[in-house]
Amino acid sequence: MAVSHDTVYLKGDRDVEVQKTDITLSDIVSLECSNKDIVPKLKALKIMKIPDKGKQRFVISILKIIACIHAEYPGLEIQNMGEQDIIVTYEEQKTPGMLWHIIKTAFVALITFCGSAFAIMTFNNDVSVPKLFSQIYKYVTGSTSDGFTILEVTYSIGLTIGILVFFNHFGKKRFTVDPTPMEVQMRLYENDIQTTLVEDASRREQELDVGKSNHTGSHRN
Amino acid sequence: MWVNQIILAVIGISGGLIVAGGLFSFIIELGIAADFADRTHTADKILLYEDCVALGGIVGNLISIFQIHISHGSWILPIFGLVSGIFVGCWAMALAEILNLFPIFVRRLKMVRYISAFILSIAVGKGVGALIYFYKGW
Repeated sequence: MAVSHDTVYLKGDRDVEVQKTDITLSDIVSLECSNKDIVPKLKALKIMKIPDKGKQRFVISILKIIACIHAEYPGLEIQNMGEQDIIVTYEEQKTPGMLWHIIKTAFVALITFCGSAFAIMTFNNDVSVPKLFSQIYKYVTGSTSDGFTILEVTYSIGLTIGILVFFNHFGKKRFTVDPTPMEVQMRLYENDIQTTLVEDASRREQELDVGKSNHTGSHRN
Repeated sequence: MWVNQIILAVIGISGGLIVAGGLFSFIIELGIAADFADRTHTADKILLYEDCVALGGIVGNLISIFQIHISHGSWILPIFGLVSGIFVGCWAMALAEILNLFPIFVRRLKMVRYISAFILSIAVGKGVGALIYFYKGW
C-alpha cells in the first residue's frame, strides 16, 4: 500500500450498535482526512468479524483500531478525537412488535403511577400530615378542624405545583429548556453502564487491544 | 377570620411545595424510573413516565388527604398492590445500592461467587417479612 503522510482524525462514540457481522471502520467511528482519496478506503477497512450470530458485545480499544489502520497504511498519522474504548454491541435487528412495546410502556407507566401514589400516601401517613394539619388549624384559628380546611386544599395545590416545577414539564409542554431530572438520570445511568462494561472487559482482559491474542467470540455478555 | 385563613393557606402551599421537592427528588434520584425505562428498552418514553410519577403523586395525595371514596373500586386493589409492591421493592434496593451496601458486603465478607444467592435471599426475605408483618397485623 502506498505510504501516505496525511493525518486522519477519528472520532468515535462510546457505545455503538451494529447489525452486521463484518464491522468496518465507518461502522464504529467517524473520520476525517485531508487526503480525500483514502477516506472511502479507510471507511471500508475491516476491523473485525463477529464470529457467530446472537446478541453479543465487545469492547474495542482505539489502539486496536489504529493498529488495523496501520497494518494497511503504515505511514498514516492518526489522531483520536473521540473515546478511547468503544463498546460494540451486535444485535440482529428484528422489528420489535409494536404491541409488545406498548404493553411494556403501559406496564411501566402503571408501576410509576401507582408507586408514586403509594409513596405520597405512605409519606402523609408516616409523618401524620392530617394530625399535624388539625393541630396547626387549631393553633391558628382556635377552632377544631373538620379535616377539610383551606390547609388541606392549599397543601394539595402546593404539592401539585412543586411536582410540576420539579419535573419541569407536563405532557409535551416544558416550562424551561433544561432537560428534566429523569432525562439527566437516564444519561447518568447509561454512562455508569458503559463505564462498567469497559472496565469489566479490561479487568477480565477481554478487551480487544493491541499486544493481545485476538480471540473474538470467546466471551459474551 | 380571613387573616387566619391566609396564614393557613401560606403554610399549606409552602408545606406542599417542600414535600413535593423532597419526596420526588428522592424517587427520581434513586433512578427507579430510569431503571425501568432501561430494562424495558423504552427510554424514548421517559417523559410519559415522568408524567405518570407526577400524576400518581397528585392523585395519591388527594386520595390520602381527602379520603376520597372510589365506588366499585375493589378490582383495583390487587393491581395496585402488585405494581406498588414492585415499585417499593425496586425503591428499597435502589436505596441499598446508593448506600453502597453491595460493594461493602462483597468486599468485607469476600463474597465473590454466590452473589446471586445473596440477592435472591434478600428478595425472598423481604417478601416473607412483609407477609408475616401483615398476617400478624403488626
